[in-house]
Amino acid sequence: MILDPSRYVAPGMAGPQGSKPVRGNIYLPVPAQVREVHRENDLVTTFVLEFDDPLVNQEFSFEPGQFMMVSMPHCGEAPISFSSPPGRGGGFALTVRRAGRLTSAMHRLRPGDTIGVRGPYGRPFPMTELAGSSLLFVAGGIGLAPLRSVIDFCLDHRSDYGEITLLYGCRTPADICFADDLERWSRAGVRCLCTVDEADDSWSGRVGLVTELLQDVQVEADSWRALVCGPGIMIHFVLSRLLEMGLPRDHLFTTLERHMKCGVGICGHCFLEEKLICREGPVFSLAELDDTRNL
Amino acid sequence: MLENFVLEKDHLLPLLRKLGRQYRLVAPVRNRHGDTLFTEIHDLDRVEIDLEHQPQSSLKPFFFPQVEVLSMYGLDHDASSGATWYSFYPQLPENRPTVYFGVRSCDMMAVMYTDMIFLQSSEYDVYYARHRENAIFITIGCNQPFSNCFCNATRSGPFLEHGFDIQLTDIGDRFFVETGRARGVQLRRQWAYFFRDATEDDRRAQFQAALEARGLFNRLVHVDLVTRILARQEEPEAIFAELSARCQDCGGCAYICPTCTCFTIHDQALDEDRGERLRTWDACTFSGFTRMAGGHNPVDPDRQRVRKRFLHKLLHDVEHHGRTSCMGCGRCVDMCFGGVDILRFIEMVSENETEHEETP
Repeated sequence: MILDPSRYVAPGMAGPQGSKPVRGNIYLPVPAQVREVHRENDLVTTFVLEFDDPLVNQEFSFEPGQFMMVSMPHCGEAPISFSSPPGRGGGFALTVRRAGRLTSAMHRLRPGDTIGVRGPYGRPFPMTELAGSSLLFVAGGIGLAPLRSVIDFCLDHRSDYGEITLLYGCRTPADICFADDLERWSRAGVRCLCTVDEADDSWSGRVGLVTELLQDVQVEADSWRALVCGPGIMIHFVLSRLLEMGLPRDHLFTTLERHMKCGVGICGHCFLEEKLICREGPVFSLAELDDTRNL
Repeated sequence: MLENFVLEKDHLLPLLRKLGRQYRLVAPVRNRHGDTLFTEIHDLDRVEIDLEHQPQSSLKPFFFPQVEVLSMYGLDHDASSGATWYSFYPQLPENRPTVYFGVRSCDMMAVMYTDMIFLQSSEYDVYYARHRENAIFITIGCNQPFSNCFCNATRSGPFLEHGFDIQLTDIGDRFFVETGRARGVQLRRQWAYFFRDATEDDRRAQFQAALEARGLFNRLVHVDLVTRILARQEEPEAIFAELSARCQDCGGCAYICPTCTCFTIHDQALDEDRGERLRTWDACTFSGFTRMAGGHNPVDPDRQRVRKRFLHKLLHDVEHHGRTSCMGCGRCVDMCFGGVDILRFIEMVSENETEHEETP
């Protein structure tokens, strides 16, 4: 369900004549309350949010790979991917890296505060099409956030998917997000391999780029699908390597990030060639992308 | 069905006066600075409606204002828990029945394009819709195209076959009148006594004017050739780089363009706890247009800042909608002091191609 903000419009507030729009107002955020705040690391925080209206909570649904437009007071809006799976009730999670004004303001949120949200938007990962396959997830840094939604969705529907492998690379050990989840997933039978570009004293694991972890996995072209998310340059190298490993383009999926303003395919900011990422993406199969050098 | 009538020129002002009592009236008005701009008319006897010059502005700001309040927001603090409640209050624009008079074919075509962007996408822009509802368009064909016009090459003029409510053609001491969409038919019927039926002579005069206009364009612009070249997916990288280097990042081309619809959304604080959420025109030529929080920019402003603008209008919209979204109005030519207008781009790409062909 796409949120219909008109239900939040107090009588007389809808317009100069108090009339209601024929259709909902796509630009109007609705309030959602912060229930939980989890610090993933110094820069990354996960917020669990819930709508105040229990009916909206009940009706609200989304799919892994979709995103919400988040409003913070005096900061405008930014697109943030879901990092939790749908269908569990109890709200939804957004994981945010402190990068600009809006995300810095989010990092000051405390349980009980409200933010504005609208959505869900965008084309999700094709979970139905992926059913029956084994899945290789490759994530870099906070790129694990949207894939976390997919991995947990798969674990909630375990019999629909084959083997699950996660390759996770971060710049330093301090950049690792979702450490608890990595342990939880390992216990649940997900093969998790992690690497960091630069180690420190705390790190006894692998050192190197995430592409190097691909040497340790074997994927059958027919039965495997790969889902990749991270910085543009990482996506490019991982997808190139996966193609070399024999996976066909339509078995490779990624989700892209762009500057966005409207989230619904009008404002023009999030273009990639002729596509608008907010509407035609953010999830794409590699068969739909001509050139990955400048993601 | 198109029906044809005649409006004597000395009946025009009385008709507009009559319309002005029922509708808001917008027409090209020449101001005291010598600018011709689409302007809301309050007193017909105090303004000069100018049908001689090309209006410097299009109708875009009437449907998609340069700055528009989308909503107000407020913060309430709960003293006991310390939590903050954040709410939004939409500010929908007033919906005023309006007659747009003296609209040129290119600008009418541009409105049809922006309708598609704001109203026919999967989402529906209620702000644009409020401005756009209850609009009546009285267009006027261009017997004499203006100096930078090339609507013949973009197939958006100088006369229209559809899209208008009423289309006028200047045939000397009178206007030839075609009614198009239902509101035009109804308007003509409501004020039937201003019009008379067209005769064979009137029809001939209109036909003659429309034919002659086609031969009066100053510029020969190879729009079709360039859309074909771009469709071959051979990127004119050097031309993009040269024009990007000349672009001064002012956004004037996008602002003046009747089909540029990109916008940004931002907040304007009124005090600590209240503010306005605004929508403002944006331009893909601005270096910050695609820059993300954290600094990454998938577009190289030095070499590619004009790339999206030209490809959007001459390639991507052809792929998506079957026609260019440049309507050939030529306004960007006058606007850009760096010569980074779409005409220059079209000329450079087509010259490049011709040189190519000449090389053995």
